[in-house]
Amino acid sequence: MRRLLSIAIFVTAAVSAAAQNLTDLIISEACVANLTGIVDADGQRRSWLEITNTSTGTVNYAGCFLSDEKSNLKKYMVPKGDLSNRLGSRQVTVIWPSFEICPGTTLYLVSTDGRTVIDTIDVPEDLPADMSVRKVAKDNKRIDFRTDPNPAVPTPGMMNTDGEIESGSERVAHHDPHGWTLTLTSVSVVFGALLILMIIFTVSGNTFSGKYRRAKKGTPSPEEAAAIAIALSEHLSDEDADIAAIGLAIHLFLSEEVHDSESYRITITSVTPLWGDKTRNFRKTIKR
Amino acid sequence: MSQILDSLQQFWQFTGFANCTWGNLVMILIGIFFITMGILKEWEPLLLVPIGFGMIVGNIPMFPGLNIGIYEDGSVLNILYQGVKQGWYPPLIFLGIGAMTDFSALISQPRLILIGAAAQMGIFGAYLLALACGFAPNEAGAIGIIGGADGPTAIFLSSKLAPDLMGAIAVSAYSYMALVPVIQRPIMLALTTKKERLIRMPKPREVSRREKIIFPIVGFLMTAFIVPSGLPLLGMLFFGNLLKESGVTKRLANTASSALIDIVTTLIGLTVGASTQADKFLTGRSLMIFGLGLLSFIIATASGVLFVKLINLFIKNPEKKINPLIGNAGVSAVPDSARVSEVVGREADPSNHLLMNAMAPNVAGVIGSAVAAGILLGFLG
Repeated sequence: MRRLLSIAIFVTAAVSAAAQNLTDLIISEACVANLTGIVDADGQRRSWLEITNTSTGTVNYAGCFLSDEKSNLKKYMVPKGDLSNRLGSRQVTVIWPSFEICPGTTLYLVSTDGRTVIDTIDVPEDLPADMSVRKVAKDNKRIDFRTDPNPAVPTPGMMNTDGEIESGSERVAHHDPHGWTLTLTSVSVVFGALLILMIIFTVSGNTFSGKYRRAKKGTPSPEEAAAIAIALSEHLSDEDADIAAIGLAIHLFLSEEVHDSESYRITITSVTPLWGDKTRNFRKTIKR
Repeated sequence: MSQILDSLQQFWQFTGFANCTWGNLVMILIGIFFITMGILKEWEPLLLVPIGFGMIVGNIPMFPGLNIGIYEDGSVLNILYQGVKQGWYPPLIFLGIGAMTDFSALISQPRLILIGAAAQMGIFGAYLLALACGFAPNEAGAIGIIGGADGPTAIFLSSKLAPDLMGAIAVSAYSYMALVPVIQRPIMLALTTKKERLIRMPKPREVSRREKIIFPIVGFLMTAFIVPSGLPLLGMLFFGNLLKESGVTKRLANTASSALIDIVTTLIGLTVGASTQADKFLTGRSLMIFGLGLLSFIIATASGVLFVKLINLFIKNPEKKINPLIGNAGVSAVPDSARVSEVVGREADPSNHLLMNAMAPNVAGVIGSAVAAGILLGFLG
């Protein structure tokens, strides 16, 4: 039980860690000279950057850092305790850092430890006003991004796309024209999925059918039970023998030695027991 | 008088006779053939009769613009066809299949589950062949799923990956499902020896109600976490089974396994049939799809049988050997392919009943083909 609990805690922790994978965040867009674009909460037009969650899970980026200096990665910390800092799958958010973004710099998105750089984006020296540098999705799953070499019209808070996204089929046609990679991968997954089911139901089947159950101390084996029944038959009268047989059956059932396929019912077929059957008795009645 | 003649001439232009093409006639004949096979041979009549009649409906020559054709937006047939096009019907059929299927055979003999995986080789074999024939990867994936021997899955996947080929794929899948006894038997006989066909398998153990209730929940969680793209099919399949096995939702299970699945099967059959209009169906690509579909069935059957023979090499205890005749049941044509195992097994030994043992890979095949469809959708969608 303790082991099960440990495994459960470990699995829960692992799943939580995966769900909080900050490495799935990217700086997807940045605007330096924001003269006519969006305004912040104070109504000011400032430089901004955009973060995208490329994963299928939710990521909380509170406590992460933003900087434009490699020597000072903790220049701006995303405030903690704000519920809006949770980014859902494929969601995009705009951040207004406390520093002004300058052309020709590199922007760093840094993990909560203040050291691990998650992602960077280079801001071109000649980025025009009211234009942005951005990363666009290379695939329709919005997982793989590349930096757009050309300045773009800002699209804050929206998934960046250049309208030339490769479909899954096109990607496969490009990377796996003969289909062997997809085939081998798919066959492995199908076998893997059904193998897992097989293992689970083998274990559960053995558990439910009593294979792992230890016989209780003092519980008679089927041979011992038969011997007890024969011994009882020699010492009890006909009526007592029936009662003893029923009692033994119930005892065996309760001690889980005997499996009855019908739940909540013990089937006792009305068969005259051999030890009480006078017609089959070796001692024949003497006819006078 | 001339006005009447003009009217009659004008009316003639609206009739089917004036607009008929040889393609329409061919498709109508194919439709009649499907109906005949469904009624006389009783080959999948619940599918072949609606599909056959749908073919006739879809190929009645008509004057364009009447807004009654299946491809004309807003027509009655077009509205019903949305269930196929958008992929609504297949998950509903899976709900009914789940509510009808008893997974006891699989739960009691988990070692037979992998046969259901091996038989999915038909899908990927046909995928490779379709790519070699020049089909695009998404089209090849949709064609390959015919080898899963699962009509609803074939419709679901082709509606997502290659809507233009859906008519040919659906008709091909259902046709070969109806021909399962004809296709599988010679392959099974060719790949097994007389001694192997005589192998007796132990009777599956009794499965408790608790195990039956746990199965759909655990089965769903495991498969859906691995292949989330198969969620619509896997979710409905296991949900339907939970309704059946929980014992407290009998009304819902009864509806899902009778009225609901009957209604959806009628609509899917009719609209898939009606979607096979001659100008869209009678093409060289359709013929290639039929050929690839047949090959995928052959590969699937052979893979299942050969996989059992491979497993037997590693089983030392002769009492635990598996009869290779249940290998064909790994394709998910439930319960037809399991019936074929039983019939061919009894031909070798009339007292050897393989049906219950064959049901295990058979229902595992349903899960396997839904997983395979999910994978293909994930990669190619």
